[in-house]
Amino acid sequence: MKRKAASSALALIAGMGLATAALADGEFAGVTIDAKLIGGQQYEALYARIPEWEAKTGAKVNIISQKNHFELDKEYKADIAAGTVGWCVGSNHSSFASQYPSLFTDLTPLVPAETVAGFVPANIAAATLDGKLLILPRAQFDVSALYYQKSLYTDPAKAEAFKAKYGYDLAVPETWAQVKDQSEFFAAPPNFYGTQYAGKDEAIVGRYYEMVVAEGGKLFNDDFSPAFNSDEGKRALQWFVDLYKAGAVPPGTTNYLWDDLGNGFASGTIALNLDWPGWSGFFNDPAASKVAGNVGVAPAPKGSAGVRTGWSGFHGFSVTETCANKEAAASLVDFLTNEDSQKLESSAGPLPTRSAVWDHVVAEAASDPYKSEVLAAFQETAATAFAVPPTPYWIEATNLIYPELQAAILGDKTVDQALADAAGAVDNLMKENGVY
Amino acid sequence: MTRAKLPPWLVLLMPAVIILAAVVLIPLLLSLYSSFTAYQLTRPETLYRWIGTFNYVKAASDPNFWWAFGRTVLLLTIALNTEMLLGLGLALMVSKVTRGQRALRTAMMFPMMFSPILVGFQFKFIFNDNVGLVNNALQSLGLTDVAIPWLVDGQLALFAIICAEIWTSTSVFAILILAGLFSIPQDPLEAAKVDGCTAWQSFRFVTLPFLMPFIYIAMAIRSLDVARAYDIVQIMTNGGPARRTELLWTLIGRTGYVDARMGYANAMGYISIFLAIGFTVYFFRKLTAARVSLGMGD
Amino acid sequence: MAQAATHRFRRRLLKALHFTGLFLAMSVICLPGLWIVLNSFRPTVEIMAKPPVWIPTELNLDHYRAMFGGIGQGGVPVLTYFQNSLIISVTSTVIALLVGMAGGYAFARYRFKGKATMFVALMASRAVPGVALSLPLFILYGRIGIIDTHFGMILVYVAMNVPFTIWLIDGFFRQVPKELAEAAEIDGCTRWQAFWRVEFPVARAGIASAGIFAFLTSWNEYALASQLTRSVNSKTMPVGLLDFTSQFTLNWGGMCALAVLMIIPALVLTFLVQKHLIAGLTFGGVKG
Repeated sequence: MKRKAASSALALIAGMGLATAALADGEFAGVTIDAKLIGGQQYEALYARIPEWEAKTGAKVNIISQKNHFELDKEYKADIAAGTVGWCVGSNHSSFASQYPSLFTDLTPLVPAETVAGFVPANIAAATLDGKLLILPRAQFDVSALYYQKSLYTDPAKAEAFKAKYGYDLAVPETWAQVKDQSEFFAAPPNFYGTQYAGKDEAIVGRYYEMVVAEGGKLFNDDFSPAFNSDEGKRALQWFVDLYKAGAVPPGTTNYLWDDLGNGFASGTIALNLDWPGWSGFFNDPAASKVAGNVGVAPAPKGSAGVRTGWSGFHGFSVTETCANKEAAASLVDFLTNEDSQKLESSAGPLPTRSAVWDHVVAEAASDPYKSEVLAAFQETAATAFAVPPTPYWIEATNLIYPELQAAILGDKTVDQALADAAGAVDNLMKENGVY
Repeated sequence: MTRAKLPPWLVLLMPAVIILAAVVLIPLLLSLYSSFTAYQLTRPETLYRWIGTFNYVKAASDPNFWWAFGRTVLLLTIALNTEMLLGLGLALMVSKVTRGQRALRTAMMFPMMFSPILVGFQFKFIFNDNVGLVNNALQSLGLTDVAIPWLVDGQLALFAIICAEIWTSTSVFAILILAGLFSIPQDPLEAAKVDGCTAWQSFRFVTLPFLMPFIYIAMAIRSLDVARAYDIVQIMTNGGPARRTELLWTLIGRTGYVDARMGYANAMGYISIFLAIGFTVYFFRKLTAARVSLGMGD
Repeated sequence: MAQAATHRFRRRLLKALHFTGLFLAMSVICLPGLWIVLNSFRPTVEIMAKPPVWIPTELNLDHYRAMFGGIGQGGVPVLTYFQNSLIISVTSTVIALLVGMAGGYAFARYRFKGKATMFVALMASRAVPGVALSLPLFILYGRIGIIDTHFGMILVYVAMNVPFTIWLIDGFFRQVPKELAEAAEIDGCTRWQAFWRVEFPVARAGIASAGIFAFLTSWNEYALASQLTRSVNSKTMPVGLLDFTSQFTLNWGGMCALAVLMIIPALVLTFLVQKHLIAGLTFGGVKG
């Protein structure tokens, strides 16, 4: 899969060399831009375009750090602490950006308005904090859709047994209540499970957050006081608890992070899996996945309030406040997120953040039924997606909430008690930091 | 020769002292200071907000902190003792081998070649409840038909972590004890044989006392070094689920870097330093006592 | 007669027990490691298979090929990481050994006031959790400008290994009877000469094992390296392992391939130093 993606990426570079945005030749001759870019295979194909920008502008890009997202996050914090912020361009993520209030600069004066208008408006909204446009999103938009094993829905014996037990037809689920029924129905531990969910860190709080929203509730009030200790919040948590108790999810699920989930679904032992777009290629690759050829993708199901889950985020690039040549840095950021860059990046699977590129990608995939199905499902989910609450204490709050969610799921605490404890802890955190 | 005025021991120790002062002492003073402030990584100005002993009081009155503290002591005690016994057994078995010992000794040190972070990933996959090696093996052998949640159940998760820790570190004990075994003078052993001692008696009364300093060295080194287990625990469970495997290091690491509350993290760090120093002083005392009883120095 | 027979039987039984015990122990020690080596040659679909695939049906070099491949093809700058790791580990080990020999000798051979306190203080410096150290160290390094340099990493690893080396070498110097060195001094050697001719060879075993420990610690260290290194300038292999993870994915096969490259040099070095270890250790019997 990887090799195929890379070779098509190369073809794209070759084909699009002429079409790059109009940059004045040698505009930034002699300028060196120090950049901290996220590492990892999924992200690095784009950096092969950097020499093109260098040739155009005469500037030089010096990649001074290339790490995965979490390591980069630590590094930024250490940089702020040590004052070592002489670099210019950094990878950023919409869920983490609010933590570095002083590090990055407002891009609005640096980037033409028509450029900004080319992005999906919801993404720009999520990239804007306190009126400052902090990130230009790259083609790494993330929202989760429901992957499933198609063969489960073509077996008449299963359909009949399901109907007899639950009183409605077995079909790809459209609500989370159906996901629960079907997961319990499909589960046959220890070899097969109905579904699974991320069980720790920010991941489970994100999953819980979107479920609260789908139930019609809110995680935080407008003043960022906790709002999840409510009926909606309890219903949302109950869903996770019930599945765990019924044995419909792997017993280790509270220790799972994204890689465990992806590998689990690829191993063919999971029926339904809410997961990110980055896995779509992996799941359908016979060298990596046992369910290749048997994967279906549906939009994220809806909660009892009729709202789809849709916790979303995206990667992008920011320019530091202390950068010596912000124009050059912004030009690089613009270049890495322009249409050609997004076309290149999304050709390997990730979702774009520019409206025109969405159209392009959908048109490109017309001949590939699997890809079309993936894109349709994600596009549908993206339409109602929402970002994390814009508070600098988001990550810290998740660290207070997740152990309580786990305690409820594992049965150490009741749902009521766990949510009360979590809400109390988050309330203290906000008060301690003078939020209200 | 002005240097001759300095006592030779001071000259010999000088490089060590200078390096440690530069790399350990100065940063430590800095973090001691920050533990009395509301220091948050992402807000550098908070470094100057003096809040007295607030952080220490907060840590001392937080039950989660004391649970983590107790769990860390428990883990250290179980892990170190088991490692010591297994290491002793391994060293004795290896020392009795006459042919191919060099290869065997290298194999014995095999786990030491693994970076703790790698060990974390490795054992996370081994103990995965769904596609992990252990559950797959147990299920294939027909020993169980349930997926055992190794990393989720409170006791099992601690057990899995201890397994990983023991796997990496038993070799340290084994190799040090083996070195000790080789440096034992043969005369007392032969004398014991002549006197008609059983194998057990000569082990208990001749070999073991000679080994004790080595055992204590290994114990002390390991108890100093055991914070390296942080990498392992962080990858395997990161203290979870529901704080069931929360150790001091995971708690401090998360508070300091993820929550960015360095002041608070450093306060907890200081409390845990005393724990580590306590262990070290204890083993150092034991070491000195063992040496004195063997007449090896002062 | 009968007694001799039972004696022989017991001896055989012990031998069998010894063999089985050793075999089991070695299996437990080696299997998890060999599993990693095996995984580096297997396609991901087999590593994560359920039901498990016990006997590999397909072995290939895909993970290695990808690792050495270019940007975006799964390539990781392995050779640079390898070079960084090697330079940092070897240099810091050599320096730590020299410093440690001096310190260990001082503790083993001299009496002075406050010796015990001094010793404990040196050891306690190793007890500081990396978490409490890494940030202030980072700030300090930032001010001096040695972040992401070989020098910075070497300095940290020397400091990390010195207490450890002093302790080990001190223990081994104590094993060398004072009389040996004193005899040499009576024979007209200076203390310096006596050290190199008499005490050093005897304590070589200790120095060799301290060397192995120091090398392996530096070679495998992750927590501090992940803070103090940033780019290909100084990133070491354990930090490089994380290149195989991204926000949502983890390439376990690729990680295993890099792990194998990390393990091989350490294994070779350990095997080579063993020779000195054995040669040094035999001196233990001489002294009686």
